[in-house]
Amino acid sequence: MKNSQNGTLTSVEIVPRCLSFFYIGLLIVLPLIAITAKAFQGGLRNLFHQITLPEGIYSLKLTFFLAIILMFINIITGTATAWVLVRYNFPLKNIMNSLIDIPFAIPTVVTGIMLVVLYGPNSVIGSIFENHGLEIIFNKPGIILALLFVTFPFVVRSVQPVLMEMDKDMEEAAQTLGASRISIFFRVILPTLLPSILTGAALSFSRALGEFGSIVIVAGNIPFKTQVASVYIYGEIESANIQGALGTAVVLLFSSFIVLVFLNLLQRWSHKHES
Amino acid sequence: MFDFKGNCVGGKMKKVIFCFLTAFLLFQGCSSGNKKRLSAGSVTLTLGAYTVPKEAYQKEIIPAFQKMWKERTGQTVKFEESYIASGAQSRAISSGFEADIAALSLEQDVSRLQQEGLITHDWKNRTNNGFVTRSIVIIAFRPGNPKNIKEWKDLTREDVDVIYPSPKTSGGAMWDVNAIYGAGLKVSEVETGKQDPFQARQLLKGIQRRVKTMDKSGRASVTTFENGIGDVLLTYENEALLRQKNGRDFPFLIPEATILIENPIAIVDQNVDKHGNREAANAFVDFVLTREAQRSFARYGFRPVNEEIAEEFTKEYPKPRLLFDISYLGGWERVYTELYGEDGIWTQIVRELGDEK
Amino acid sequence: MNPELNRVELIRNRRHIGEWVTLSLVLLWFFILILIPIFGIIRETFSQGLDAVKTSLATPASLHAFWLTILLTTSAVILNTLFGTILAIVLARQNFKGKLILESLLDLPFAVSPVVAGFMLIILFGSTGWIGSWFSSMNIKIIYALPGMLIATLFVTFPFVAREILPVLREFGPEQEEAASTLGASQWQTFWRITLPTIKWGLVYGVTLTIARSIGEFGAVLVVSGSIINKTQTATLRIHDQFSDFNYAGAFSAALILIVASFLLLNFIKHIYKTKGGNTS
Repeated sequence: MKNSQNGTLTSVEIVPRCLSFFYIGLLIVLPLIAITAKAFQGGLRNLFHQITLPEGIYSLKLTFFLAIILMFINIITGTATAWVLVRYNFPLKNIMNSLIDIPFAIPTVVTGIMLVVLYGPNSVIGSIFENHGLEIIFNKPGIILALLFVTFPFVVRSVQPVLMEMDKDMEEAAQTLGASRISIFFRVILPTLLPSILTGAALSFSRALGEFGSIVIVAGNIPFKTQVASVYIYGEIESANIQGALGTAVVLLFSSFIVLVFLNLLQRWSHKHES
Repeated sequence: MFDFKGNCVGGKMKKVIFCFLTAFLLFQGCSSGNKKRLSAGSVTLTLGAYTVPKEAYQKEIIPAFQKMWKERTGQTVKFEESYIASGAQSRAISSGFEADIAALSLEQDVSRLQQEGLITHDWKNRTNNGFVTRSIVIIAFRPGNPKNIKEWKDLTREDVDVIYPSPKTSGGAMWDVNAIYGAGLKVSEVETGKQDPFQARQLLKGIQRRVKTMDKSGRASVTTFENGIGDVLLTYENEALLRQKNGRDFPFLIPEATILIENPIAIVDQNVDKHGNREAANAFVDFVLTREAQRSFARYGFRPVNEEIAEEFTKEYPKPRLLFDISYLGGWERVYTELYGEDGIWTQIVRELGDEK
Repeated sequence: MNPELNRVELIRNRRHIGEWVTLSLVLLWFFILILIPIFGIIRETFSQGLDAVKTSLATPASLHAFWLTILLTTSAVILNTLFGTILAIVLARQNFKGKLILESLLDLPFAVSPVVAGFMLIILFGSTGWIGSWFSSMNIKIIYALPGMLIATLFVTFPFVAREILPVLREFGPEQEEAASTLGASQWQTFWRITLPTIKWGLVYGVTLTIARSIGEFGAVLVVSGSIINKTQTATLRIHDQFSDFNYAGAFSAALILIVASFLLLNFIKHIYKTKGGNTS
């Protein structure tokens, strides 16, 4: 689509822009305004009081902590997986490629139950860990495991298209000039991939903040131990404490919005830097 | 998908597709609203229930009612049913789900509808105070009872892992905690002649400390228990009996002191007036209290509210010696604040346990 | 023979030990994280024999549920692909104030837990809601009916297509497109011949993610649908229902169907794109 030459908007630009605003407005902004308004309905002081309840604060801290750990694990494993899928050839590669998205198609309740059955204290793997004093399911590692499963496709699928479109010329040029594989990776490939890696990281971070269905089954949901924000919020809605629930939800959303803005800025910087 | 067809789909086409889809889906929404109109020989009743009595309704009670109504009036009754968690169902009905009959787990879930004006009659003024089924809180353990569970105190032992759903996410789960606390009070009352809240609190804290996981709902906690987690499960008798009925080895004991669970049913005036099926809806609520229906419930693990039928089933449903109900704890309003409020006993206990770690 | 070329060939073909390690680690990761759970689901499905599977899948309620999932997924894919592409192009090729905010809003649906998402939609579209009350007076049902479920699905799958296309569009700037238009190509021609092939893989992955997620969406749809049997129960809600009835074989078999259907569908899409869309540059 053409950019306007002299700073005024062409009709070609306006229609898509308006459509975009309309769609995001209706689907995202309006609902967010709705819950924020509802959260404030009981008065500011009560809202503040509800938000600062110890259970709520702990659940927020736990959620962010786990989401960040998850994000870093995904950055490494996701990029590696995308790399392997694009640059390598091995038997059954196509099947593996098609299975990458499957975690999304599995309802979260099934994921949760599966993880309990496979890695819970009564399973082969789980009991081995238990004997060494490490609880996976019903403790924090179990939450990370569930999150890893449901966010697996994000970084992989963000990096893959960029990797596929990438020109190998620069790499090969660097190679013939004698650069080591590692330095090629860090100086040529990574900067090109960084924006898409950050995109995938942002997506998995967001998902980790909001994930509910699988976590409520594998986490144990013990307050001050394994109760994440989404479960806490759900509990408050069920207990008819709407203001408390929405207040915490709004805090969660606002903070994740800030992190997303930050990641987007980082992305822009890396893009400018590279070109 | 226009991208893949290779057709030259211009901007106009996009708008056409979009309008078509919107219209199509709105039409779906419209048509489901219109289905409620009475056609000469049939009437539709929408049942908004909680999850637990699903089998009882689907397999016996609804078919029996359909048969009875056809014989009595010649009309066919069609049912639309939804079975989700009691609190969620209550909220759904209050925010637009047009259920004609609300059959929920907690009295509060029906009272809410009354408070919001969807129910305008005095629903508690029916037989049995508006309740249709009963149950009690029981303690389920592993076959063979390897941990030798005999009573509430055993659940505080260090070698016992306890499972029960979270009272926060499952209103029905409050029955379990109420049972523990009430049992503490009842036992102390029998022993010393006076209720001892401190002893009750100690019991509750001791058991909560042993809780390994708090699932979202009663059903979810049974699933967790069946997946091998935990030594002991606190649940309702009808859940345990249903599992046994389906062939599972699900041993449980009835504690000497435990709470009586009562589940309400009521027609939702606003909806029956809108749909014009008040006669059929009323007949249904009357029907579930008849001997035939109560026997059906009894077969599915529920204790009947009909005293006559309860007599028939005394063997299957022995009465715990120290049975109490919600009024022993001061009624629901008091329990909500005293146990689960911000400074409630259960809330405090959970905080104390959190600090302990 | 050019010695330089020889050297390049050798370097290209020799697999570094580091690459073998990477490959093994990735395969191991994939095995533990994805394959084992899938095998687990397969095992649980058939744990009670083939008959149990057949009886639970063949009921009218189950078939209706699968149909509903297909309907919702198709609609969600069409709408979100359409608007997602437009949005991505706007964000990548245009400059205006508030672009950063718009882009950051894009990912927000994921951060909203499905419970809150459903709740939001009920506040807005419920019979007493801001928008819902208007529709309600016209006797059009949104919540506890199909439109609400579609909106919920649109919400949770919203970012995928835009997010997949955006990095590609940014990476491969507007130069080619501008060149094309100076050479006289129309807007549409430029889009079809230059932009679309570039974003091809991003589009494919965006669509596949949208499909997969629509099929698997559970939490938000549960809240806004009321889970009315044979009316507003999608496949995932049906599965949840089956779990609640302790019909594990039924639940897992339905889950397996979803996995197999997704797998075949996603493969099919990629296959079509490969054969019809030509190869990458």
